[in-house]
Amino acid sequence: MRISANIPVRGWRDRIFSAAAFFFVSVFIVFVLGLILTDVFYVDKKAVVTVLTSRFILHALWMSIWTSFVTTFIALLFAVPMGYALSRFRFPGRILAEAVVDLPIVFPPLVAGLTLLVFFSQTEVGRWIQDDLGLEFVFQPKGIVLCQFVAAASFAIRSAKTAFDDVDKRYENVALTLGCTQWGSFRRVSLPLARNGIIAGGILTWARAFGLFGPLMIFVGSFRGRTEVLSTTIFLEQSVGNLEVALAIALLLILVALIAVTAIRLVGGSAMVKL
Amino acid sequence: MIRAEEITFSIGTFELRRLSIDIAEGEYFILLGPPGSGKTIFLECLCGLKKIQSGRIRIDGRNVTNLEPRRRNIGYVPQDYALFPHLSVEQNITFGLHAHGYEETNITETADMLGIRHLLSRSIDGLSGGEKQRVALARALVLKPKILLLDEPVCALDEVTRQQVCSQLSDIQRRLGLTTVHVSHNLEEAFSVADRAAILHQGFLQQVGTLDELLRKPKSEFVARFMRCENIFCAEVTDRGARDSDSRVKLADIELQIAGRQSGKLMLMIRPEDLLVRPGSAYNGIGENVIHAALVRSRDCGGYVRVELDGPVKLVAHMTHAAFAELQRMHQSDVVAELDLKNIHILPQ
Repeated sequence: MRISANIPVRGWRDRIFSAAAFFFVSVFIVFVLGLILTDVFYVDKKAVVTVLTSRFILHALWMSIWTSFVTTFIALLFAVPMGYALSRFRFPGRILAEAVVDLPIVFPPLVAGLTLLVFFSQTEVGRWIQDDLGLEFVFQPKGIVLCQFVAAASFAIRSAKTAFDDVDKRYENVALTLGCTQWGSFRRVSLPLARNGIIAGGILTWARAFGLFGPLMIFVGSFRGRTEVLSTTIFLEQSVGNLEVALAIALLLILVALIAVTAIRLVGGSAMVKL
Repeated sequence: MIRAEEITFSIGTFELRRLSIDIAEGEYFILLGPPGSGKTIFLECLCGLKKIQSGRIRIDGRNVTNLEPRRRNIGYVPQDYALFPHLSVEQNITFGLHAHGYEETNITETADMLGIRHLLSRSIDGLSGGEKQRVALARALVLKPKILLLDEPVCALDEVTRQQVCSQLSDIQRRLGLTTVHVSHNLEEAFSVADRAAILHQGFLQQVGTLDELLRKPKSEFVARFMRCENIFCAEVTDRGARDSDSRVKLADIELQIAGRQSGKLMLMIRPEDLLVRPGSAYNGIGENVIHAALVRSRDCGGYVRVELDGPVKLVAHMTHAAFAELQRMHQSDVVAELDLKNIHILPQ
């Protein structure tokens, strides 16, 4: 196999340096693939058939897919304006605002579930939203999206902010002198230039939402055919001793994640710039 | 055409202080100053990218101080051009036309004028510095602005391309009758394009005038040094002279004659090209304002030879190659520097 480098590799020192860097890449990939292969060899045909024919598991798969995509969409809806505002505007309390945005990345996901449960069941505002407005989240499919959003949206916001930080302000200035409004320069210059960073944030958000488990168990539970997603199904199957089935579901989860992440990267990378 | 009236703008510890400049219609005006003097900020204030804290900006008599950049009809080429990297050359040039909602997006005339028609389908990535500069210029000119603002437009270019681009800028400005404000820290650039210039230092406007005025009659030591005059000395008047006659001043151990009635302490400036350097042996002892010195260093600067002289005062002179060759031919390090009375300029204190 021939490896082409973006930097010229000359002499034995350069070779040792690139070999050392490549060593860590290899170790990591072999380790992860090894773990997946362990699952593959452990799972038998019967477990695979069970997974592919079980109505509840397929429903959980569908729930995982749609909720994670809806969450990603909503997160990006927040992330783009928030990332831009945090990147471009200076306002009192900006540092505090950024810390709050980063908070869900830092605290354990389980806390998100607990906090949401307490908010909707123990506070006046939460009960008003649930009972009077009729927006029920606790133990409801809508709650899955809310839970995923709280746990994962920070990744999209943080990535969008970094992406807008990387867009030189001078491009926007030039666009303003060329006849654009603030909105026009954002839409035609900043947004296309920040696109890759925003897509990367979307991928991270989707991955976090798709694999979320702990807070979902607390906030929406895992009711068969209703609030069950793949990650909670794995937990339920292994807790009743169906280890092969649990691992077969895990493989399904990995496969879907791999396809989705690759597809998003391909679509995002080849998207044409539209004026 | 452009009238900046007592503009004040501050950012961090920097402040542009009560800056007033008048620029006539169709004039090629250059704003000179060292890095950090506020040139770019002034340009950004003119095109509306920075909101001034006090003062007024008028264009064609109209107060545009609070007008958005897009409504000022100003073409702006920033430093390093800021071409949109996600768009092709053609898309960059038509960007402003689309933004203004113009149906007509024919850019061939502008592209031909700048010689970039063959680049239209190219991406920005592969362009050379000169090509990028012309694309940025086309992007600004295609909107047919009345005013063109150029922020260090040739600083990233090599010497040959810089001269070509300067000639091209000058031609375009004349052909289109554009009022142009060009920002630079380079004197050669100023001489190759500008009608008039201003010198800015730490947010203060030091002087405005023709380049010859800045060169010959600087109003401060800073302007004199910026205009590359190294011979600046403190002198004291020893003889005020009678009415309509010249004065005498003491400079180190020597006495010089200067024009007009003067008194007290003075700051004198002598341009290096105004010093006549001759071999010491060729001096016949006749004449005023002659300084004996030793030639300590010389450097060929292309169009002239820069020589450093060490005598009662240290002097720098610019000699023609022929004069310097004559000096070398005579193997003389002892020289005399002669100063014409009219070439000794008194700097205002």
